Amino acid sequence: MRQETLRRMISFVLLVILLIVFGTTSSSFFTVNNIMTLLREASVVGMLAVGVTMCIITGGNDLSCGALLGLVSMVVAHLYHYTALPLMAILLIALAVALLGGMLNGICVAVLQIPDFVATLSTKMIFTGLILVFAIRNSAGLITTETINNPSISALGGAFPGGLYYSVAAFFLLAILAQFYLKRTKSGTYLYAMGSNRKSAEYSGISFVKVKMTAFMISAFCAYIGALFLLGRNRAAETATGMGFEFQAISATVIGGCAFAGGRGDMIGTVIGVLFMQVLKNGIMKYNFSTQTQAVVSGVVIVVMLVFDAFYNDYMQKKTTRAAAIAREKKAVAE
Amino acid sequence: MSDLLFEMKNIEKIFSHVHALDHVNFDIRKGEVHSLLGENGAGKSTLIKILTGVYPKDGGEILLEGNPIEINTREDATKQGIACVFQELSLVPTLSITQNVLLGKEKNTLGVIHYGKEKKEIARLIKRYDFPLEADAIVETLSVAQKQMVEILKALSTDAKLIIMDEPTASLSKKESEMLFQIIGQLKERGVSIVYISHRLEEVFNLADRITILRDGKNAGVVEKKDIIPGEVVRMMIGKRLSEATASRELAMSEEETVLEVKGLTRLGYYEDVNFVVKKGEVLVLTGLVGAGRTEVIRSIFGADPYDKGEILFEGKSMKAGIKGTIRAGFGLIPEDRRTQGFAPLLSVTRNVAVTNYDRLAKSGFVKKASEDKLGEETVKLVDLRPANPKVQVGNLSGGNQQKAVLGKWLTRDLKVILIDEPTVGIDIGAKDEIYEFIEELAKKGVAVLLISSDIAEVLRVAHRIIVMRDGHVVKEFDDGSVTQEDILLASSGFGMTGKEGQNDA
Repeated sequence: MRQETLRRMISFVLLVILLIVFGTTSSSFFTVNNIMTLLREASVVGMLAVGVTMCIITGGNDLSCGALLGLVSMVVAHLYHYTALPLMAILLIALAVALLGGMLNGICVAVLQIPDFVATLSTKMIFTGLILVFAIRNSAGLITTETINNPSISALGGAFPGGLYYSVAAFFLLAILAQFYLKRTKSGTYLYAMGSNRKSAEYSGISFVKVKMTAFMISAFCAYIGALFLLGRNRAAETATGMGFEFQAISATVIGGCAFAGGRGDMIGTVIGVLFMQVLKNGIMKYNFSTQTQAVVSGVVIVVMLVFDAFYNDYMQKKTTRAAAIAREKKAVAE
Repeated sequence: MSDLLFEMKNIEKIFSHVHALDHVNFDIRKGEVHSLLGENGAGKSTLIKILTGVYPKDGGEILLEGNPIEINTREDATKQGIACVFQELSLVPTLSITQNVLLGKEKNTLGVIHYGKEKKEIARLIKRYDFPLEADAIVETLSVAQKQMVEILKALSTDAKLIIMDEPTASLSKKESEMLFQIIGQLKERGVSIVYISHRLEEVFNLADRITILRDGKNAGVVEKKDIIPGEVVRMMIGKRLSEATASRELAMSEEETVLEVKGLTRLGYYEDVNFVVKKGEVLVLTGLVGAGRTEVIRSIFGADPYDKGEILFEGKSMKAGIKGTIRAGFGLIPEDRRTQGFAPLLSVTRNVAVTNYDRLAKSGFVKKASEDKLGEETVKLVDLRPANPKVQVGNLSGGNQQKAVLGKWLTRDLKVILIDEPTVGIDIGAKDEIYEFIEELAKKGVAVLLISSDIAEVLRVAHRIIVMRDGHVVKEFDDGSVTQEDILLASSGFGMTGKEGQNDA
């Protein structure tokens, strides 16, 4: 069994326990309405998590994805407000912005060899700054929020007849595609190889630059998709849009069995992690805690999960060397 | 000469003015097992790194079936049919066997891998060699021996003509080693040549069709299987370069009181049932090959690592304290890798020395700068540091002086036991002698010295008694009488050993 499989099973069991606890203590938890809202809330962070998973598998990270999502939203809102460009053109420009953002991350990390954390923290600053540059201002020069009155954008916030939001379907579709990419394509396999043993990957002719670039471009693309669906729901972009999303996405990914060291994790785990985070948030809300308390509680849970993750990985490492030694000793005694 | 596969002629390699390889010749026939022997630093790995494109050569040529070829990168080596089974395994632990073997050469349509086809192909390859492997098993779940088989599969899948095995049995059990030898036989039958590098002479003598011996970067001889005389080969490895003074040494059991005693010490997976005593004013040397478990033993004694069974007695009393307790009891440690464990490179000599002595210098929690400076100056004088400036950053000193600074950390303390791990690696000869003198002086002052060294000349230079470890076991003790380099080399490489040999059988 892979190391992360057990980890993921534990997260899954915890998710089920949470569902049981919230389901039995709150009558409003297992209602169609609540579940659909819960999934909708999860979907945008989920899309970011899909992208971040790619980066973490290569042994890296992407702290800029939340800000990039905010930037894409703002670019769309800006162009819609200030220009007469058709929506299609606006969306294409926004896609170009997203991909350029991903490329910038890739260049910093792969070409300039800046560590992922530092590089993407810096680009996050750049993206956050650009959000303010593109913010919509009133005649006094103050930042305002303008609603986007476009039926196509609004349609993205809609739902299927059963109540399932489009954004939820898009998240699951994205996750399935990403899973296929990771497990069945050359390029996906290389993400694992690079994250698990860079030397051996490079000896096999795999390019570090290409792999890193790919991961950040995918992450940027996911941020783009997330931005569109968030716009569909909110019909406006604010300067704070996307703020802190990256931490929710990264936490979800780690809860799902990804290791910061790289080489581990996949979409099944990430989806479990995303659902875990959202169920926790939603359930706590049902207890009427104050917003501050909610933040503290979910923060504590995440810390506990991450600490557990570190201990678990360490333990598994030791166990494998020691288990082999103990087995050998037993065998020697038996003979 | 038509059966020659690769020839390396007059190969030269110079590392910062040192001739690592001096006109070395090495050739490999088709379908032969060719062993490369030599002590640490004889040039074996340099030669192999040139053949596999890791290092560029500074002179000479490489021929494939008589035609000169250029090998500048690892890809070049692979293209010419050279594959390496690495000592430190080079697989991707979280991918499957199939993914690993075909990494970088996946069969695909538009990037989508032909998953089923690949799996079948690898399953077929596994079956052909009858390896106990499943094509879709994840590599990290495999044993070391199985991982090695995956590396061999990887080599075979590139149609390698030559497979280089560097210490392949270092972490295998006896049974697993037997299996590897069978695989080597199979490979030979299929016309694959093998370069087999191992410190275990017994294996080499059994397996090799030919042996090339290197010494100090030069050819010391080539021996055909039928002409192998073990003693002769060992003599070729050691040579006569050493002065008579260090060719052998008289050992004697000390009459002094026992300071440190280790009884049945075991840390599963690292070392087992280690017993020895160190007496007052005595230098006990733990020798053996790298990976024999020596460093792990002294780390446990120092309290840096735990142990599973056994007892450590200090002055007759059982010790169970951690590092703080052992230091307080009068223990000191000069670690193996001084750069990462021995000192803080950006701090001054004074600061480095002071850190180990804050229990005395800063009883109240505050440091008096004057007493710190005094200690620094004292230390510089004591170890004869050059430059004689306690304010210089340790990172800027030469290797030998860095080691002296590390020694200085402990010298001003009231030491009872000092544990020293490979103190002269990467240090020039002059500084080496000074370090030996310090060790002797420490012993004369009554400190019990436990020293790890793989350098046989060094062992014979400083040892009062010698213990040889192999595969986590003490295999030989030299307590008294005369001991020679050959005795130690034979004991550490496991050749001609009887009795305790059986302990390895797992």
